[in-house]
Amino acid sequence: MVTVYSITTCPWCEKTKKYLASKGVEFEVRNIEENEDYAKECYKLSGDTMVPVTTADGKNFVLGFDKAKLDELISA
Amino acid sequence: MNIYDFTVKTNRGVEKNLGDYKGKVLLIVNTASKCGFTPQFKELQDLYMTYNDKGLEILGFPCNQFAGQEPGTNEEVQNFCRLNYGVTFQIFEKGDVRGETAQPLFKYLTAQKKFEGFDENHPIAKPLMEALQKNFPEYLEGDGIKWNFTKFLIDREGNVVARFEPTTNPSDIAKDIEALL
Repeated sequence: MVTVYSITTCPWCEKTKKYLASKGVEFEVRNIEENEDYAKECYKLSGDTMVPVTTADGKNFVLGFDKAKLDELISA
Repeated sequence: MNIYDFTVKTNRGVEKNLGDYKGKVLLIVNTASKCGFTPQFKELQDLYMTYNDKGLEILGFPCNQFAGQEPGTNEEVQNFCRLNYGVTFQIFEKGDVRGETAQPLFKYLTAQKKFEGFDENHPIAKPLMEALQKNFPEYLEGDGIKWNFTKFLIDREGNVVARFEPTTNPSDIAKDIEALL
């Protein structure tokens, strides 16, 4: 299952979600602005407060809207 | 009329009376969006970490009157945003800071401290002037806020003592803050 950490007003998060959807990838959105636990998870993963952070295994992640890296992540 | 007479709303929609900051040194800044190339956030955060326990508060007011992109940084394409703008000082509700629709606080601040020009030695000065002349020539007139990251320094008695344009880096304000603490 793919997880996309995001915040409320974030065009790059929206692009990432749309891109994943266009590839038929199922994903869960975790809003780190609204949920403190998600914020901690995301910080633990990426070591920063930037979003979107997309992960499939909770270890490797893609920071930002980066099509090439997202392709790699979803094909793995 | 005094700075402590203003009431504003935090980014979580809670009303905040600036009177609550009486006795503190304040740096009031109009900030940009949380998704653009905004290096001044980092320096503001550094100032906050250094001087907050000595009595400095930084108040950030997001505004999108100045287009999304910082001038001169087109090559710095970013594809991410930051939670809380990557800072821990107080961010307020998004609103206008110039023109008819400006928040009263910013009408007051710009009336107290006039525009005295950009620091032409700053690397952003030239692209900023060009961007303004091209996109918002009317912004160059008068004392209104010219661009993101205009900074107003308030002393412990509530006097607006200085105004710094976007062409002054927050780190260069450290000495002015220290003088008031």
